[in-house]
Amino acid sequence: MDELGNASAPKTEVLASHCRDFMIAIKEIQTMLREEIRSTCEYRPFEKCDYNSRISNEICCKKLEHIIEQLDAMQQNIDQCSNSI
Amino acid sequence: MEVERNKRMRIDVDKLPMKRLLAIDEIGNEQFPPEKSNEEQRLSAIHRIDFSLVVEKEKEKEKEEKDKELSKSKDGQQQQQPWQGLMENLRQAQHELSVILDLISTVEANDSVAVALMQRPKPLPNEALADFAVSAATKVQRLRHLGRYFKQCSKTMEQQVSKEARFYGSLIRLQQNWKVKRQRMGISEGFTFDLFDSRSLSGADSTVLTRPSPMSTIIIDQDAFGMLAIQLPQKSCRTLCLKFLGDDSSTCRIKNNTSEKNASSSGSDIAQPPSVKEILSDEDVSGCIGTTHSILRDIHRSLFEEKVFEMVNREAFNNQSSQGINVTGMRQDFLQLVIGQDSSLCLSLVLSEPEGEYKENGKDGSYNEDSSESGSSSALAPILLPTDDKNPTRSFSKLALSSKLVLSLQIYLLSIFHQETLSRAKEGHSSCGSLLAHFCMSVAHRVFSNKVLSILENLVSRVSYIELVSHPTWHSRTSSWSLRLKVPEASSVFDGGYQKQTKRSQFLTKVVIKDGQISLRGQSSATIVASFAGDATEPHSINTYTCDLEDLPMLILHQVASQVIQWLHEEALVVGMKTSRDLLCLNVDLEQGDTLSLMARVDPDDASACISWALAIPAVTDDAVNFSFYQTDSDNPGLKFLGSLSLESLYSALMDLANFCGNGAVC
Repeated sequence: MDELGNASAPKTEVLASHCRDFMIAIKEIQTMLREEIRSTCEYRPFEKCDYNSRISNEICCKKLEHIIEQLDAMQQNIDQCSNSI
Repeated sequence: MEVERNKRMRIDVDKLPMKRLLAIDEIGNEQFPPEKSNEEQRLSAIHRIDFSLVVEKEKEKEKEEKDKELSKSKDGQQQQQPWQGLMENLRQAQHELSVILDLISTVEANDSVAVALMQRPKPLPNEALADFAVSAATKVQRLRHLGRYFKQCSKTMEQQVSKEARFYGSLIRLQQNWKVKRQRMGISEGFTFDLFDSRSLSGADSTVLTRPSPMSTIIIDQDAFGMLAIQLPQKSCRTLCLKFLGDDSSTCRIKNNTSEKNASSSGSDIAQPPSVKEILSDEDVSGCIGTTHSILRDIHRSLFEEKVFEMVNREAFNNQSSQGINVTGMRQDFLQLVIGQDSSLCLSLVLSEPEGEYKENGKDGSYNEDSSESGSSSALAPILLPTDDKNPTRSFSKLALSSKLVLSLQIYLLSIFHQETLSRAKEGHSSCGSLLAHFCMSVAHRVFSNKVLSILENLVSRVSYIELVSHPTWHSRTSSWSLRLKVPEASSVFDGGYQKQTKRSQFLTKVVIKDGQISLRGQSSATIVASFAGDATEPHSINTYTCDLEDLPMLILHQVASQVIQWLHEEALVVGMKTSRDLLCLNVDLEQGDTLSLMARVDPDDASACISWALAIPAVTDDAVNFSFYQTDSDNPGLKFLGSLSLESLYSALMDLANFCGNGAVC
C-alpha cells in the first residue's frame, strides 16, 4: 500500500500484482459459489426423496387436529356439566 | 478573383477541399494520397503555416519601439525604474498576444502560415511552485474521484452480495425439505421445485403411467430485493372432499395455512412499505421462507389428494361389479357411490379457496346439492337417517357427529391409500383386495353403528341403572359397547358356616357390531359358586344372539330385565327364600303354598319407563299383605302394577317379602 502512495508513480508491476491478486480472489469465490449451487440441486437425488414420509406426516397432522378438536369439545362439555352442577 | 473597378480587391477562396494527386497511370487511373484523419489534417495545416513574415514584421516593430523607449527611458529613467520591469513584461505579453491573434486570424482565413520559432519565456520561481501546486491538486482530485468510484463499486457489490445471499440462503433452507432442480434453458437459467414423487409409483404396477402433473414443477423467481418467490398457479390447488348426499354442511374445512399470510409470495405482492426496502431483516427472510414452505406443503398435499382420487376412480371403474362397489355417478372430478341401502357418498375434488365459492364441476339438477355455498357458511342440514324420526331432539347431536364423521372418513381414505402407496413402493406389490370396497364397507359400518349408538344412548338415558361403556376395537368395521347394570351393594350376609365368594356387582351386556351385523352377548351366569354344593343356582350360559336394528331395543331390555331378575333371585337365595325364576319372572313361594310373582315388563317405546314391574298376588285375603300404596289393575284383580322401580326399592321390596315368607329367613 505504501508503494502505491509513492510520490512518483508506483511501479506497474506492483499495481499489476495487486490487480492480479484481486482477480484471483474473485475467481476463487466464483468457483466456490458455483460448486455450492450445483450441490444444492444434487443433494436430493432420487433415492433420498422423502416425500412419502412427508405425506405420512401430513396425514398424522390431520388426525391429530381432528382428535384435538374432539377433545376440546369433550372438555367444553365437561366444563358445561360441571358449571351447571 | 474579381477585380472591381474601384480597385478594391476581393478574394473569394474556394472552400472545397482539394485533393492533390499523387500519381496518374497510363490508363488514366488516378492515385490519391491516403486519407488523413481530421487531427492529422489539422496538424499538417498548422505545420504549413508560415510565420516568417509576421515575425519579421514584429521584429521591425520591436526595434522601432526599443529605439523609442531608449530615447524615452533616457529621459525619465530614474522616475520610471520601479515600473519599468512590469511595463516591459506587459509589452512583451502584448506582443505575444498580438502575434497569436494574427496567427489565428490568418488560419481562419485559410491561408497557410509557417511557424518559424516559438520561444517559451523563462518561468519565474513562483510559477514553478504554482505549476506544482496545480499538478498536486489535480492529482488529489483524481485520487478522490477514484476513491469515490471504488466506494461506489464496493457498495453495489455489497448490495449485490447480500441480495444473492438472501436468495441462495432461502434456496438452501428450502432445499432441505424439497427437491430443487436446475434448468439451463438456453440463455435463461432457473431453479425449480420438483414436487413429483416418482418413488411412490415404482414397483410392479408399471402399467400405471402417471405423468407428473403440471403443478408439480414450480418455478422459482427472485424479486427485486433478492427474496425468493415462487410462481403460484392460481386457482388450481384442489383437495379431496367427502360428502353424504343431501348433506349441505361444508365438511371440507380446508385448513389453508397460507390463508392469513399473503398467499402469493411472488414479489409483486410483498406488502412492504417502500421506505424499508433496503433494510430487509432476517425475520423478513424467514417469514418469506415460511410462507413459501407453507405454499409448497399445500401444493404437495393437493397433489397427493388428486392422486388418491385418481386411484379411487380407477378402482371404481375396474372392479365395480365384482367387489361390491356400487357406483351411481361418475364425472370429471366427481364420484358417487351407494353406501348400504339408503345413503350415498359423494367424492369430489374441489378447489381449495378459503373464501371463494366451491367450484365443483357437474352441478346437476338430479342431485340436490347446494354446492355453491361458500366454504365458510355453517348451514347444517339434517341427515336422512331412519332413527331420526323417533328422536327429534337428538338430531342436533347427529349433526355434530356427521361433520366429524365425514372428516374422519376423509382422513381414513387418505390414510389407507397412502399405506397402499407405501407398500407398493417398498415391496412392489399392492395389498390384496380392493381398498375402495373396504372403505365403502367401513363407511356403511360407521353409519350403521351411529344408528345403533343412538339407540343405546336412548335406552340408557331412560333406564337409570344402566351405564353405557364403549370399547375401542381399532378396526374400522367393528364397534363394540357394553351395557353395565350396576347392582347396589347389599349388606353382606354371612349365613351359617360358609362365606360367600366375591359377589357380582355388575352384569354386562356386550353389543358387538361387525359390518352391519349386531351380536348381543348377555352375561347371566352367576359367579357365586357356593362350595356347599346344594341345590344352588344352575349355571346359566352366556346368551349370544344376533338381531336386527329394530329388535335391538327390545332384546336389550329383555336382557337387562332378566339380569335384574337373576340378581333378585340370587339375593333371595342368600336370605333363604324359596324362589324360582323364569325368564322375566321371579316366583316367591309363600308359606301358605301360594306363589307370589314379581314380573318385569319391557316396553321400548315407553318414553319414561322402559322396564316396569308388576306383582301377581294370589287370592287376596283381608289380613294378607297390605300393599296399600300400590295401585290395582281393574282388569286383573290379582295383578298390581308397580311402575318403574329403582334397584334399591326392588331390593327392599324383596326383603319385605322375605319377612312375610317366614321361611327362617334371616334379615
